[in-house]
Amino acid sequence: MKSNASRNPLLIVAGLIATALFIASCASTAPTCAAPQSKNLNSAISTTQSSLLEGCHAHFDRYYDDLLTIAEGDPKPENKREFSQFLVWSTDKGLLSNRQAEDYYNRFFNVKFMSLKGDYNNCSHTCPNKQKVLFDMERELSEKERGLLKVSLDNEGYYRADQLYQEVELVLEATCTACSASR
Amino acid sequence: MNTTARILIPVLLVSVATLTTRVALANTPTIRLFPTTVVEDLRQTGNVARDMETGLQEVIGQLDQQQELYHESKCDGAEDDSGCQRLARQIGASYLEMLTIMDERLPDMEHTVNNTRLSLEKGLRNELGRKMTPWTLQETLIGSDANKTVSKSSPTLRGRSGMRLSERFNQYYQLVATSGAKGDQSLAVLASDIYLDMEETSLLIQRTRQEIARATLMEQLNQSFGIITPEMIEVVGGVKSILFGDEEGQALVAGPPPGSVEQAYRSPLEQ
Repeated sequence: MKSNASRNPLLIVAGLIATALFIASCASTAPTCAAPQSKNLNSAISTTQSSLLEGCHAHFDRYYDDLLTIAEGDPKPENKREFSQFLVWSTDKGLLSNRQAEDYYNRFFNVKFMSLKGDYNNCSHTCPNKQKVLFDMERELSEKERGLLKVSLDNEGYYRADQLYQEVELVLEATCTACSASR
Repeated sequence: MNTTARILIPVLLVSVATLTTRVALANTPTIRLFPTTVVEDLRQTGNVARDMETGLQEVIGQLDQQQELYHESKCDGAEDDSGCQRLARQIGASYLEMLTIMDERLPDMEHTVNNTRLSLEKGLRNELGRKMTPWTLQETLIGSDANKTVSKSSPTLRGRSGMRLSERFNQYYQLVATSGAKGDQSLAVLASDIYLDMEETSLLIQRTRQEIARATLMEQLNQSFGIITPEMIEVVGGVKSILFGDEEGQALVAGPPPGSVEQAYRSPLEQ
């Protein structure tokens, strides 16, 4: 009875030490999910890929933004390909769905506006939400300014997108006026 | 046999592919925004506007001269002077003449403008509003090649002050009449632009017609007193800017700097 009582505190202390060690070991292996430090896009993409595979995929948005910032420091037409390959890799690894990857790519590197995705006709769906559609397009245009102009030096692409935005604004104004005139 | 087959099969494949592409292009639905009636309406509106301008040019010139004489004679503030009163009555008479000419010509103008507006309205509603989603509309506007060079010759149409009304309609007519060679993307923008302009013009004509009745009555009353109202000068100024253009109102549109980089890369993710 007495020996049990004297042994119990030892067991408790040993247990506590073991738990503390276990928690400490867990803490040391958790990913830090730090931003890529390199100013070179290729090596930044490699670092990001490693981090994403080590469990940082929840931070994908932030990593994409970091990579864009790094690419802005060394803008060139080939950057478009680097981003495309990175996104294709992300879908291959199951980090993104195809649709998500298309959205990430096209919002920044394509002339067409993803904000105009929709399955219903303009009179019934676009016109009642015209202001929101135009607002979303305007926001996407600034993303295209970053992707096309500042990252890829694709001036023509960006100015075509800008012109497209203005054309959509004009055509939607006329179409929606015509749609509402029939009511 | 084998050699012949090796030569023939690629040739046949290329021919079939070319034929398929041509059939596909031929079957691409084209949007019908400009039926012949619209083209005719535009031409007619241009003619009516020209007639109105010709009729008004003389009387407006006369009004300008009379106003100049009024100011040179230092009649501002000397309304009791009999000479100034006579000048003011002459100005009032010219003003009434201008209103009468406008009153006579505006119904024709209103009729042709409304015809154009209604035809375009129907086309826009059916072709772009009901048959298209926002995505197909975007694809129509962008044409077959999203990465094509920004057309420097594409007209920026909105805001046409500084241009005679008849010239404006004449330009519309020319653009529509020669639009066959252009793609659907130009047609959609052109139709939208003309439609919105017709909406504004139609509203303006309606308001002008209402105003003419009131202004005529007021001026008939003023004739007995020989008064020039600021409203008269304002109306004349407005009519001049609508009919003959307003140089100060020219909208400046900045052109994009030319792109210099070749863009050959197409991502598999691109839509």
